[in-house]
Amino acid sequence: MTKEVSLDHVWVEFENFVAVEDANLTIAGGEFFSFLGPSGCGKTTLLRCISGFQEPTLGRIRIGNHDMKGVGPNRRPTALIFQNLALFPLRSVADNIAFPLEVRGVEKRERRRRADELLEMIALPGQGDKRIDELSGGQKQRVAIARALAVKPDILLLDEPLSALDLKLRQHMRTELRAIQKQVGLTFIYITHDQGEALTMSDRVAVMSRGKIQQVADSRTIYDRPATSFVASFVGENNAFAGTVLAKDGQGITIDAGLGVPLVAALRADSGVTPAVGEPCHLFIRPEALVPMTSGSPNSFEARLVKEEFEGHMRHLLLQAGEHQLRMSLVNNGLGGSVAGADGRLTVGFVPELAVALPLGLLASA
Amino acid sequence: MTRKTGTGLIPGLYLLLFFAYLFGPLIIMVITAFNSSQFPRIRPWECFTTGWFAKLAADDKLLAGIGSSLVIGIGVIAVAIPVGLAAAILLSQVGPRLRSALYTIFIAPILVPGVVIGLSTLIFWGRIAGFLGLSYKSFLYDGTFLTILGQVTFIAAYSMLVFLSRIQRFDPTLTEAALDMGATPTQAFCKVLLPFMAPAIGSATVLAFLASLENYNTTVFTIVSGSTFTTVLASKVRYGLDPSISAVAVIIIGATLVAAILYESWRRDKARRLLPAGRRVPAAPADLWLAPVRRLTHPAFVGAMLAVVVGGSIWAGSRHDSSACEAQIMENKRALQQQFMQQQAPASPPPAATTAPVQAPASSVFAPSNLFSSPAPEPAPAPAQAPANGAFAPSGLAPSSEAPAPAGQQPAPASPFAPSNLAPSQ
Amino acid sequence: MKDFLGIRRFFAGLVERNGLAVSLYLTAAVGIWIFLLIILPQLTMFDYSFHHNLPPAKVGGPEDVYTLEHYRYFLRGSGNGSAYNVLDMSVLVRTLVAAIFVTVFDLVICYPVAFMLAKSSSAGRARLMVLALIVPYWINEILRAFAFRILFGSSGVINEFGMAVGLWGSPIDFIREDVALYAGLAYAYILLMIFPLYNAIESLDINQLEAARDMGATRLQVHTKVVIPYAKPGIASGSTMVFMLTAGALAAPEILGGPSNLWFTQIVYQWFNSGGNWPRGSAYAMILLVVCIAFVLLTMRLFKVSIGAIGR
Repeated sequence: MTKEVSLDHVWVEFENFVAVEDANLTIAGGEFFSFLGPSGCGKTTLLRCISGFQEPTLGRIRIGNHDMKGVGPNRRPTALIFQNLALFPLRSVADNIAFPLEVRGVEKRERRRRADELLEMIALPGQGDKRIDELSGGQKQRVAIARALAVKPDILLLDEPLSALDLKLRQHMRTELRAIQKQVGLTFIYITHDQGEALTMSDRVAVMSRGKIQQVADSRTIYDRPATSFVASFVGENNAFAGTVLAKDGQGITIDAGLGVPLVAALRADSGVTPAVGEPCHLFIRPEALVPMTSGSPNSFEARLVKEEFEGHMRHLLLQAGEHQLRMSLVNNGLGGSVAGADGRLTVGFVPELAVALPLGLLASA
Repeated sequence: MTRKTGTGLIPGLYLLLFFAYLFGPLIIMVITAFNSSQFPRIRPWECFTTGWFAKLAADDKLLAGIGSSLVIGIGVIAVAIPVGLAAAILLSQVGPRLRSALYTIFIAPILVPGVVIGLSTLIFWGRIAGFLGLSYKSFLYDGTFLTILGQVTFIAAYSMLVFLSRIQRFDPTLTEAALDMGATPTQAFCKVLLPFMAPAIGSATVLAFLASLENYNTTVFTIVSGSTFTTVLASKVRYGLDPSISAVAVIIIGATLVAAILYESWRRDKARRLLPAGRRVPAAPADLWLAPVRRLTHPAFVGAMLAVVVGGSIWAGSRHDSSACEAQIMENKRALQQQFMQQQAPASPPPAATTAPVQAPASSVFAPSNLFSSPAPEPAPAPAQAPANGAFAPSGLAPSSEAPAPAGQQPAPASPFAPSNLAPSQ
Repeated sequence: MKDFLGIRRFFAGLVERNGLAVSLYLTAAVGIWIFLLIILPQLTMFDYSFHHNLPPAKVGGPEDVYTLEHYRYFLRGSGNGSAYNVLDMSVLVRTLVAAIFVTVFDLVICYPVAFMLAKSSSAGRARLMVLALIVPYWINEILRAFAFRILFGSSGVINEFGMAVGLWGSPIDFIREDVALYAGLAYAYILLMIFPLYNAIESLDINQLEAARDMGATRLQVHTKVVIPYAKPGIASGSTMVFMLTAGALAAPEILGGPSNLWFTQIVYQWFNSGGNWPRGSAYAMILLVVCIAFVLLTMRLFKVSIGAIGR
């Protein structure tokens, strides 16, 4: 049983600021959907609206075509996994998992049977009588999921549930969460500020900033074709150049980015709003899109090597070009050798298809 | 600034002095309960006796007071605990401005003098009764009812403080989690918040009962014509110092110590069992050595040991008979008294001789008897040592220290205490 | 009307969080406490103190009018002349001065203990010390006073010891001198001083102390410049409680007080009990309450601490 969730022009205002501004989207049944954004961007508020702890100031939230206005959290078909998991410390593992059944008046033996079943599913068989504080971080995580699944909700909401885990476990849990989602086939709505989590697990991602949804798309589109300057600068590493549009035609857009040479970014059919000629704009080139070129090639410019960082599989170069500092990443091919000449200067460039031109906008602060 | 480690010499000495101040008076009081002297004191020591406890057991007034204190204590718990809990929960849910206003009101009864609470309770409910036209037989004039209300006024504030310190550690997302999983707000309250508060409910109950039992300032007003354990004790103390009061203290201190030891051993046992599996001491050889020690500190074992010790001392105490010793002391006193009378007879009696017996309890007034604490004194040298006019040594006047001291009016002998100080060491 | 709406919204918020049954319990329990037990009795007593002392039959009759006679009595005594009621006023002043003395004494002796408890003893030892502090507190107030009576009696341990060592030659009447009373009162409220101090000092980061030492502060300076300013709310809380409870004490002064030195609460009790004049007792109780609260608020204003610190 999966149900779609639709946000219909949802606004949430607090006493002196707007936490969510006109959120308008539909999450399909069975989808793994993430809200990604820095802390304070409104993603948790939106989640609390869906789970029923917060009423929107304006707009409607529908779950499977039912308007949720005035429906309390205990009567919504959603289950929330809290950031701190909120497992009940005084109850055993099995009693935690069976809690939703207990408050629905399910008889004791049946509760225990369901709890054991769910423990089986999360690969913790026979651990029902343990106390919560006897479990490891990852085990607690899985118990929280089992507890949320105990009443067979239509939608599972997850509020940064992996943030308390260490790196290795976090990466492992990503795969596991995705596997559980596939197995139970529920709609998962996932909140995170970690783009790695959002991009690896999600079918679609909504990037938020300052209460506004910036872009809703699959991971690849978010990364390759960001819709706003914020998305371009927030997701992944990016070199941003502020400049002015010199020319624009069907294939590309030519920009003066203050590097002495005009640079061209390709335009595609799916490019969204693009800046008009004469308007200020942002040009984004990812570090891995920059490559050494021979002097005088199109779309290339002179730079000076400031510093090189070696990270094993990658080499990160810090370059100075005109007023701009930029980063370039090269795959370590094992051959080594400097890319710059003896004077520390080199020519770098990019293919127009890997650059993105967007109207001037707010960047994510590093 | 030594961290963690123990204390230096000066802080150590200070602590020693501090705890001497804390426990010294109690220890001395406990010792006086076993001295057969009519006045509670350590020296001179007459006979080891358990008679004061027997006297207690026969004290109907005190027993009645304990009975009504129990009723009042239970009533106070039944009202103050729910009220204090509600106040703490409310404080945890309101905004900061209302919170500080409410907190000020809630904390006020702790600071308001007990006599003010007592008197105002009495007047207020009297007015209500008058307004309703109820007779003096109505429960609004009943001492037990009024005392429960008067005590609840401030004991609810104590229990609120206990609950508040616990509820501050409550994670409100637990309630949200319960709601999210389909619990109604009432279910979330009963299944998540209340179980979390359970330990605090336990300690607040104990605190409330003890506070109720020992309250005097408010109770003395609200109990009207009745009495409680504490008011009976207070009137006993006011009408004369009597070692049976020390005996009460022995019982209370004993009960407190037993409770403290049991609680501590229960707590340690629980803390040990709550250690997460990974951090539990592995069953190394050392553990095998420790196993018997652990069993010795197990609460059940500690409880059994305490039961044996307490039961044993009560049994031994009830069989102890000090009457022979006390008769001997009486005999000595009488002999001394007679000698004294004979000495006094020829001379004209000083005015003190007539006033003293009236002012002090007859049995213990005569100083000469107090000069000797050894059970078999030599009566002969005593009169010789005690000058006739100084025979009413100050120690003899002790039972009523407020009485004007005739001995003090007379020129003090060079060393009036010498005999009493020397006698026991002989 | 606006207030009424505010209360309704407040209650609706409670119901949303706790459900109807629990919200009713919360508001009823707290409402009864605040109104029936705290505020209304005080107001009634306040009102009562402005009435004549009338036999029940005349209450509500034509003679039952408001009067200031009980307050006038406190100031002027029974005489109609211009003389002041020096006796009762001096008792009030002496009670306050004694309460201040007891408070300061408790603060001085408890501060080192609270500090050691909070910062320089191991967890196990601290627990044991806390237990040792609490145990005497479970003993009945009357019995604690009784213990001091025995201790300070003319043949008590203190006198015997003092004379045996040769500090003084004849027994000192500690009861008459009120030494026993002060010692007993200070003893009674030690715990109420230590715990607020302990709570305040405990949250102080020990690194701050070491940093201060490292930067050249003497041990004394560490206390005066770091610990004491930090612990100010705890000091205020403990001092307020000890002061109020000492000034309002009744049992200890009855048992340990000298025959000629009254405590102000004893006068209240006398008017209530043997004096048979409840309105006057009420007036005296009000005077005690108002004077004590005014004094506490003034002192807190002086040291710049808020009332919210109390009880923490």
